Amino acid sequence: MPRTTTLECPGCPPLRAVTFDALGLIKVIEAHGKQGAVPKVVERWGEPDSSKCVVAASIIDRKIDPLLAVARKTGMIEVLSPINGDRRFMVSNVDDAGLRPEEDAVVGLHLFATQKSDLTSRSCALLSCTTKGNTSMRSIQVPDSPEGSASIGSSRTWSVCASGNISCSKVDGSENYALFGGKGVEVNVWDLENCAKIWTAKSPPKNSLGIFTPTWFTAATFLSKDDHRKIVAGTNSHQVRLYDISAQRRPVISFDFRETPIKAVAEDLNGYTVYIGNGSGDLASVDMRTGKLLGCFLGKCSGSIRSIARHPDFPVIASCGLDSYVRFWDVKTRQLLSAVFLKQHLTNVVFDSNFDDEGVKPSVADPSLDAEQIASETEIRDKEETLPVKRKKALKKDEASKKKKATNENEASKEVSIENDGLNKKASKENKSSKMLKSKKRSKRSKHEALNNAS
Amino acid sequence: MGEKRKKNRGEAADRFERENENGEYENEQRKKQKKQIENKGEILPSMIKNKEKRSEVHAKLKHQKKLDKRKKIKARDAAEKRALELGEEPPPKSVPRTIENTREFDETVCKPDDEELFAGNDADEFSGILKREHIPKVLITTCRFNSTRGPAFISELLSVIPNAHYYKRGTYDLKKIVEYANKKDFTSIIVVHTNRREPDALLIIGLPDGPTAHFKLSKLLLRKDIKNHGNPTSHKPELVLNNFTTRLGHRIGRLIQTLFPQDPNFRGRRVVTFHNQRDFIFFRHHRYIFESKESKQNDAESKKAKDAKAEKASQEKVLARLQECGPRFTLKLISLQNGTFDTKGGEYEWVHKPEMDTSRRRFFL
Repeated sequence: MPRTTTLECPGCPPLRAVTFDALGLIKVIEAHGKQGAVPKVVERWGEPDSSKCVVAASIIDRKIDPLLAVARKTGMIEVLSPINGDRRFMVSNVDDAGLRPEEDAVVGLHLFATQKSDLTSRSCALLSCTTKGNTSMRSIQVPDSPEGSASIGSSRTWSVCASGNISCSKVDGSENYALFGGKGVEVNVWDLENCAKIWTAKSPPKNSLGIFTPTWFTAATFLSKDDHRKIVAGTNSHQVRLYDISAQRRPVISFDFRETPIKAVAEDLNGYTVYIGNGSGDLASVDMRTGKLLGCFLGKCSGSIRSIARHPDFPVIASCGLDSYVRFWDVKTRQLLSAVFLKQHLTNVVFDSNFDDEGVKPSVADPSLDAEQIASETEIRDKEETLPVKRKKALKKDEASKKKKATNENEASKEVSIENDGLNKKASKENKSSKMLKSKKRSKRSKHEALNNAS
Repeated sequence: MGEKRKKNRGEAADRFERENENGEYENEQRKKQKKQIENKGEILPSMIKNKEKRSEVHAKLKHQKKLDKRKKIKARDAAEKRALELGEEPPPKSVPRTIENTREFDETVCKPDDEELFAGNDADEFSGILKREHIPKVLITTCRFNSTRGPAFISELLSVIPNAHYYKRGTYDLKKIVEYANKKDFTSIIVVHTNRREPDALLIIGLPDGPTAHFKLSKLLLRKDIKNHGNPTSHKPELVLNNFTTRLGHRIGRLIQTLFPQDPNFRGRRVVTFHNQRDFIFFRHHRYIFESKESKQNDAESKKAKDAKAEKASQEKVLARLQECGPRFTLKLISLQNGTFDTKGGEYEWVHKPEMDTSRRRFFL
C-alpha cells in the first residue's frame, strides 16, 4: 500500500462554533460525543451573496435568550438568535453623510451582555464602529414578533478619530471601556459611560537608524477580562505590543513575530497568555508577562488568520481565516484537534458555550418571556464574573501543569493567584529586567503601583 | 608405505566421511536456518553480515523476482489472447499505481454539484472578465535588472498573450506600477523576475483588487531552441487548463484564464495549454491541424494523433497534428496573496510552507 501520512486529529470536546464568511453565510459547527468527536457543519444560514459579506460579529453567550449580532458589508447590522438563526431585528448603520457603505464598513461590533440600570428590560445595547471612526452606541428595544421593527431607544454617536482608518476595536470584560486603533490611529481607550477618551498611546521612538515606522494597528485586545488597563496590540509591521494604561503611554513590552502583519489577537482566560495569528497563517501563544513565545500551533495552516476565539470552558481555541478552514486547537499541547473545511474565505468565528451534547438545545426565548428572568440571570452572571472563583481554579490547574515543566516560574505564578495585584508586580519586575524602560519612567511606574496598592 | 597408504586411505576416507558429516551438518544447519527463517517470517539479504553471501543471496532473489515477473506477464498475455480467440471479454487492464492516483484524500477538491462554489465564482475578482464585461489587457514588465534570456522570453510572451503590452521597469516600485496600471485600465500585470540572466520567477497580479500569485519558473525553453517549431499567428488562442481540481487550483486556473481573451479565434488553430500535474504547471503553446488522409502510412509518423484515432472514418482518417511554437516552461506556485502586490502588509491565501511537504502524495492544486 502507498504510505500515506494522515494527520492524526484527536477530535475535540463537545462544542458549538459559529463561523461567518465572505459570502455572508453563517455556518454552525457542532461536535458531539464525549471526547474525540469530529466537528461537522450542521446548519447554514443565509444565501450566498457577496454584497452581504460579514465584516464583524459579536455574541452574548448566555443560557437564556442568547443573541448574535452580525455586521454586513452593506452597513446593516442583524441581530439573530444563535440557536436557530432566526433574525430578531435589523438596524442600519449607514450614515446620512453620503458615504457609500463599502467605504465606511463596520469594523467593530459589540453586544452588551450586562444590562445597564437605566435601560428598560428586554432591550439590548449595541456598540458599532466604522472604518472612519464613527462609533455609535444604541440601545434597542427587542421587538416582540420576529419580524417586528426594532425601535431604537437611545443612541449616542461620536467620532473616535479625526483621520486615519480604524481597523480594530474591542470592549473590555466589564463593558465600561472600549479601545480603538487602526491605520494612522494610535490605540485609544474610551470610557463608554460618558463617551470620553481617557487614554491614548504614544508611538514608539525612532529606531537607531532614525526611521519612524508609521502607526498601523491591525489587531488589539484587552489582556485580561477584569482589567481594562492592559492592552495587547498587533501592528502591521509584525510587532506585538503590551500597553499599560496605568504606567506609561509607550508600550511596556514589544517584540516581533515572524514577517507578516499580526491579523488577530485573542486573550486567554488566565489573564497573561495571548494568542496571535498573522497574515501568513502562523498561530502562536505568548506569555505577556515576559513577552516570551510559548509555542506555535503547527498544522499546515497556510492562509491568513482573521479571527481567533477562546472557548470559555474547554481548553480549546478556534482559528479561521483565508484558507477557509476552521481549526480547533488544544491550548496546552498546542495540537490540532480538528479542522473543518468551509469553502469560503472566513472572516469570523465565535463559540456558543451553552451547547449541550445531549442534543437538548437551550430554549429559544419566546418573546413573551419574563424579562426579569433574563435580568436576574445576567445579574447572576455578573456576580460570577466579579467573583473570580473559576479563574482561580483554572490558574491552579495551570500551576499544576507548570510544576512539571518549569519550577522557576512556579513561585511567581503562585503569587499571581494569591494576590490580585501580583500580576502588576510581576510585569513590573520583568519590565525592570528588560531594557525598554528608562529609569525615570520606572520611578513613575512604581509610584503608580503604590497608588494602586493603596487604593 | 602400505601402511602409510592405508593410513592415507583411511585418512582420506575419514576426511570424506567427515566432509560428508560436515555436509550433513551444514545441510542440517541450513534446514535449521530455513526453519528459523520460516519462524521469523523472512530474512532480508541486508540482514546477512557476510558481504559475499549477502550479494549472492540478493542476486538470487532478484533473479527469482525477474523470472516471476516474466512468468506473470506471460500468463496475462496468454489469458488475454485466449479470451480474444474465444470472443470473450478480455480481463480488465490493470492500472499502474502512481503517486497521483494514490493521492491523499483532499476535501477541498471542487465538486461539480457544489452551488456554493458557483456562488463564490460569481462573487470573485475574476468574474468581471470571465463574463466578458471587460477585455483583458495585460501589462508585462520585468525586475529591475534584466538581460539576455529575459527580454527574449518577454517578446515570446507578448506573442502568446494577445493585448499584452511591455513596459520598461525602470526604477519604479511595483506598487506604483500597480497604481499606474489601474489607472490605465489594465486587468493584470505579469512580472518576469530574472536571476543571473535567467528568468526564474513569475508574478501574476490581478487588477484592480485581484489576487497576486507568485510562481517559480523553471525549465524555460525559448522558441528557437525547440526543434521544428512553428511561428504563431496573431489569432486569439484557445486555452486549455488541465487538472486544476482543488479550491486553490480552481482559483489559480481562473487567474490564468483572465490573462487570455474569452473569445478565441478557432480559425487560428492556436492553443495554449496549462497542464497541472503534481502541483507543477506545464505551459505549452501549439498550432494544430486536422488532416484527412486515406493511407495508413502516416500512422507511424503522427505519434501524437492518438486522440484522432477515435474519429476514424471507414476509409478516411482524420489526424490531428501538432506543431509546437512558443516558449515552454514549468511553473510552481509559491504563494497566493489576497489583494494586489504587498509583501509587507499582505495577507496570504496560501503560502508554501516546508511543514506541508511531509508526504509525496499530497497536492494542493
